[in-house]
Amino acid sequence: MNEITNEVIGESIYLNQLSSGLTVAVARRPGFKKVFATFATHYGSIDNTFVIPGTEEPVTVPDGIAHFLEHKMFEKEGGGDVFNDFAALGASSNAYTDYTSTTFLFSSTGRVAENLEILLDFVQRPYFTEANVDKEKGIIEQEIRMYLDMPQDRLHSNLMGALYQNHPVRLDIAGSVESIRTITPELLYQCYQTFYHPSNMVVLVVGDVDPESIWRQVERNQDRKGFTLQSPIARIFPSEPPAVRVPRVEQRMPVSAPLFMIGYKDTQISGTGDALLRREVAISLMWQMLLGKGSPLYAELYQAGLINERFHARYSGGTTFGVSAIGGETLDPRRLESWLVERLPNQELSREDLARLKKKEMGEMIGLFQSPEDLAYAFNNMFFRGIDLLHYIDVLSSITLDEIQEVRDTQLQERSRAVSLILPVAGNESKED
Amino acid sequence: MQHPIETETGFVGHFHDGLGWYVYPTHRFKTITLQAFWINDMDPATVSFGALLPHILKRGTVSWPNFTAIQQQLESLYGATFRADVGKIGDKQLISVSLEIIHGQYLPGKPDTLKAGLEFLNEVINRPRLDSDGAFEREFVTQEKELLTRQIHALINDKGQYALYRLIETMAKGRPFGLRKLGRVEDLAKVTPDALYGYYQTVHRTSPFVLIAVGDLDPDVIASYVTANWNGSRRELVKTQPYTPLNRDYEVIERQPVQQGKINLGYSTRRTFASTEYPALMMYAGILGGFAHSKLFVNVREKASLAYYAYARLDAALALMVIGAGIEFDDYPAVKRIIGEQLEAMRRGDIDDQEMHFTVQAFHNDILSEEDVPTQLIGRQMEKLVLGGGLSGEAMIQALESVTVPEIQRVAEDITLDTIYFLTTDHSATGGDEAQGE
Repeated sequence: MNEITNEVIGESIYLNQLSSGLTVAVARRPGFKKVFATFATHYGSIDNTFVIPGTEEPVTVPDGIAHFLEHKMFEKEGGGDVFNDFAALGASSNAYTDYTSTTFLFSSTGRVAENLEILLDFVQRPYFTEANVDKEKGIIEQEIRMYLDMPQDRLHSNLMGALYQNHPVRLDIAGSVESIRTITPELLYQCYQTFYHPSNMVVLVVGDVDPESIWRQVERNQDRKGFTLQSPIARIFPSEPPAVRVPRVEQRMPVSAPLFMIGYKDTQISGTGDALLRREVAISLMWQMLLGKGSPLYAELYQAGLINERFHARYSGGTTFGVSAIGGETLDPRRLESWLVERLPNQELSREDLARLKKKEMGEMIGLFQSPEDLAYAFNNMFFRGIDLLHYIDVLSSITLDEIQEVRDTQLQERSRAVSLILPVAGNESKED
Repeated sequence: MQHPIETETGFVGHFHDGLGWYVYPTHRFKTITLQAFWINDMDPATVSFGALLPHILKRGTVSWPNFTAIQQQLESLYGATFRADVGKIGDKQLISVSLEIIHGQYLPGKPDTLKAGLEFLNEVINRPRLDSDGAFEREFVTQEKELLTRQIHALINDKGQYALYRLIETMAKGRPFGLRKLGRVEDLAKVTPDALYGYYQTVHRTSPFVLIAVGDLDPDVIASYVTANWNGSRRELVKTQPYTPLNRDYEVIERQPVQQGKINLGYSTRRTFASTEYPALMMYAGILGGFAHSKLFVNVREKASLAYYAYARLDAALALMVIGAGIEFDDYPAVKRIIGEQLEAMRRGDIDDQEMHFTVQAFHNDILSEEDVPTQLIGRQMEKLVLGGGLSGEAMIQALESVTVPEIQRVAEDITLDTIYFLTTDHSATGGDEAQGE
């Protein structure tokens, strides 16, 4: 395997690619008891319109199908589920779906090779029937209802729906109770065959393991399956205008105080790799300089009683969308909003703050390598955008104050701004009987 | 100095006369984690003081007089993670101040970040910013009281946590363990800056105190730091009292405009962490509802499709068990019945070899995995300290491996349902309650 090292933080990642296009990566953690492995596909909730390989016409599939597919991968032919196969080896297993990816994982403190074999096999062996698909609808409906009762989740979801007019990132990752009812085994197979090809996937193992033996094992496993290279997937996204769908969105829920979130849609997002990384790092540093816990504006807002310690400002995005989201609980959403709108474009950006925050980011990157779950999330997320995680430190250190100023000018556009509010329901006292 | 290693936990150190320190020396981590605790009884008279104090300590010190200065100092220390917080184990409230910082050997110029970290902790714990009258800044206290009040009210935003708390509160019937770690709004309202400063001084002087550190460091540094800064004549740690059930099959139904019902059941187990039968109880709860192979997950979720999650969890300090699931409102009777059937199966000893094997393996995995996370190692050591014994690490794994089905049946005999709490709809919210744009 190829060892890619960053000298400054003294960390390496081993990487190689099979002839099927599958990438294998290893991050060594000497002395760690646990091995954490992920098998991820570059397929998330936003990939709802695409061309099935070997066909011509694009298809549009029901909202929430990527997440539904994630659930169904655990089902085995002839009954039983994969959780038990891992449990037999003392491993725990899970999976998650976000806007752009689906990740299957296990964590174990022994019998790594056997667990890795199960991971590689179950993700590459779909088994969907009318009965097992119908059964899952009840479970996922309860999962969706659980999210519907989570105010923070609604706050963010409503913001995305306000910011985006067309892009599917405006929809909930799990879809809706109605949309998942239309999912069939045939639709699941279509999505599976399009997006679960090895060339669209990456295996990552984090722990006290030997990279070469991991590589050889994955190679042997994949050789048996005889995958051939697939042409690139045609994903189709609608064009998204710079303007938001609506500038404000409000929902009433049983909460104790209003929840506020202001968002800016990134209209400049483009490309992959280091250019994308550079823009993301610059925007992240900008938000920390403007509204991080050490910033003067944060102190003023706190002093004025407008925010609490859980107030945050952060950027997240893929290759086709990007959003800055700033918010938290407040008693006076209007005042907080006008304060932010007025001050964010004019707040002074200082060289000293930038230097200090670069130190902070560097420490956090070193710390990231100590948390296998967080490392895997960051690595996979960057990998699917063509970004090398280990370039992070170099990009970080070369960002200039002028670049921060420039991204601020492009980010803080009024037409790309929306506010989401969760307000308490009237007479919000609970009743008992 | 030579300090004996506790082979079972991997920690070096000791605790006596209400004062102690522990170090877990390891090369595994690139960070150093330091966590200091004051341990107090949950008491309605003081719980609000304990909840508020960490918020004041975060606001300013003599060297860094405001929040911004503290935060900028942390940023300069390569993004050190700082928390001043309150926690709860059984009937104890823990006030904790913690710092996780990158070890200097992994940083450019190799700065002594352990020294910097201890200095930081020292500032926060021993040198809080005071006003000209020698008490806490009035403004800080007023602001933090207001924010903490809102935080207490905000429990209602998290339906799962809310339901769990309401269950425990109902089971407690006014006993201290039913108090939340954040205390009550009505008690908090009475806290004055002077009284809070008095509380701080008392806690500082007399409450049981322990400093725990994990990382590549010399235990002597921590030992001498504690000896130099803390006196040894403190209150002894009082063992946590397990709970005794006052209800039997008591049912509480609460209505709110929610999309999903939350069922929570509380049981008395009669065994705490220190009990020799605790490993059997762990096996019981694990087989019943600890994992994806457990009876509750399989029967409530996989077979009946009635829930996304369904779990059973022990409180090691209080000798109680909680079962929880998020369900459709109308499925309440069906879910209650299925849960009852699973408990009955446990009592009958209807447990196969596979369930035994999977559960032992899963605990094995969990216990070893904790050792890769500094804060979990510290949490484990604290639990052992506060609960006065119990097994951990390899010794716990071995004990779990030797548990038999009859031993599980014996603990199952003593498990009794105390209270069922169900959060359900008031029918004011409809299924597709959409957000409205202006």
